[in-house]
Amino acid sequence: MISRRDTIAGYLLLTLAALISLGPLIGVVVLALGEPGRVGIKLDITQATNFGNFADVWEKGDFGPAILTSFIITTTVVVVSVILSVPAGYAFALMDFPGRTAIFALLVLGILMPLEAMIVPLFLDMRRFNLDNNYWSVILPQIGFSVAFGAFWMRAFFVQSARSLMEAAWIDGANSWRTLTRVLMPLARPQMLTLAVLFFVWNWNDFLLPLVMLSGSDLQTAPMALVTFEGARRTDFAYVGAASLITIAPVVIVFILLQRSFTRGILAGSVKE
Amino acid sequence: MSERVAFEDVSVIYPGMAEAALSHVNLEVEEGEFLVLVGPSGCGKSTFLRALAGLEAVSTGRIMIGDRDVTRVPAKDRDIAMVFQNYALYPHMTVAQNMGFALNIAKIPRAEIARRVREAAELLDLTNYLDRKPKALSGGQRQRVAMGRAIVREPQVFLMDEPLSNLDAQLRVQTRTQIATLQRRLGTTTVYVTHDQVEAMTMGDRVVILKDGVVQQVDTPDNLYRHPVNAFVAGFIGSPSMNLIEARVTGNTADIQGFALPLPREVVDTAHAGRVIVGCRPEELQLTDTGIPMTVQLVESLGADSFVYGVVDTIAGPTTVITRTHPADKPALGSSVHVTPRQAHFFSCEGDRPRL
Repeated sequence: MISRRDTIAGYLLLTLAALISLGPLIGVVVLALGEPGRVGIKLDITQATNFGNFADVWEKGDFGPAILTSFIITTTVVVVSVILSVPAGYAFALMDFPGRTAIFALLVLGILMPLEAMIVPLFLDMRRFNLDNNYWSVILPQIGFSVAFGAFWMRAFFVQSARSLMEAAWIDGANSWRTLTRVLMPLARPQMLTLAVLFFVWNWNDFLLPLVMLSGSDLQTAPMALVTFEGARRTDFAYVGAASLITIAPVVIVFILLQRSFTRGILAGSVKE
Repeated sequence: MSERVAFEDVSVIYPGMAEAALSHVNLEVEEGEFLVLVGPSGCGKSTFLRALAGLEAVSTGRIMIGDRDVTRVPAKDRDIAMVFQNYALYPHMTVAQNMGFALNIAKIPRAEIARRVREAAELLDLTNYLDRKPKALSGGQRQRVAMGRAIVREPQVFLMDEPLSNLDAQLRVQTRTQIATLQRRLGTTTVYVTHDQVEAMTMGDRVVILKDGVVQQVDTPDNLYRHPVNAFVAGFIGSPSMNLIEARVTGNTADIQGFALPLPREVVDTAHAGRVIVGCRPEELQLTDTGIPMTVQLVESLGADSFVYGVVDTIAGPTTVITRTHPADKPALGSSVHVTPRQAHFFSCEGDRPRL
């Protein structure tokens, strides 16, 4: 039984936490709706009425094509990475094959290596294959990084998901593929969606890789457009705020859409069912 | 089609383990037989089942189902059905889908699947639950779905891995009878694993006693009870278990605290180092005026009869001895009484303590 006092204290704490995390975001929204061209930061909610800022920024910052580019890159990476991560995690968790431990260790190493350490050789590689300055130069490395984590993530799920379910499927005559698609994947849906959200957020927000890979082309992703825009109008805080909101909007939308399964995925396995 | 199953010198050694989980097992399960494997935990009974199912690789030896050598055949191609201890029902499928999954994989026509699922559901009293998911079922119902999933397959062999251990005591007794009846009706060769010797004795046509991966005895429940091949089987089968009292051989008798129990000639000849283990079931021990002295420690009344627990000083130290009496005859706690064996089994003191 939770006492009334504990309930109230709980709500107070949660409200405080919500304010702390929402505060800056609300600040940016108020800022973005402020009067454009004004020098200095002034958060005045009574003047936060300039909805036209978004349209202005969209046009001036060339955000349309940038968001499209980000969208093409990110969705490709998310879809391909999830499709590859699931069978990879399954194999690492439940199949016996020579070199399994070694390959898995290599994969984990891939998660641990910072991008900064690899970016230069990666760029040279891409150039050698004539892939620089096009979508693939961003998509392929991002898939690589994502699958490393994705296989790790899905493996954790498959390892702790009931082994006897898989054995039951085998005895029922299902081969590995059927066991995966008909029995385990339906159970792994929250984990797969969570993985998709994580991939989307990480890859959408990635700045360094596209900056290096696309430097010689007209292509730019949303974060690149934001940085360019910010560089040009450093003191126009209303416009910079609006541009920031435009850039993060897709991430917020994806998160809200998949929020339920996201929290379910994160919490999976925390209680015995 | 029911088939016979044979283990020919089968050993299973887990990687990194010194001891074999299953050691040189030779065993035949007749067509349509209900064979129960029983033993303490870690005795290898689950390994036996998993090796037969194809879930565990065999290190040496051969496993036959009918005339087919299945030693290297993957689980999915063995045509066996298994009931798991935790049931392993597919949580995202309905009861009907759970039961029909194997047939679906085997590409059996839809109408045929529906018919077989319906029949199994009627047999198991699950007709009203076919559209439910497992999480909306009680423990007993889940257990029946797991049984149903095995039955619809019409497999060559049923394997059951402690299928009753997650049920409460009352339901367990009820389901025990149901499973035994069902098996006789279907006539499918069944290998059943349990740690509960009562289950083993009541359900099996024959019972296999396993210890440390080695088969101790394979026999009918009656024979196991009456003629245990060694002290382990004697102590394992029966509840309460057989009293095992170590005694000195003096001339033609076994000497227990001054009580002289006559020994058969062959026991005297084969006894090791002048010692023998005297085995006596609780109902084979009588409270008498003279005999083996015993101090009463506990009396359990079960209505129809009572069990008297006492301590006897033997050459191996104080040993707990249990005897069954009529409730009217039960002695007081702490009192000194005497017991006399009406019948006795004799086991060697050495090695696996075989019957003498």
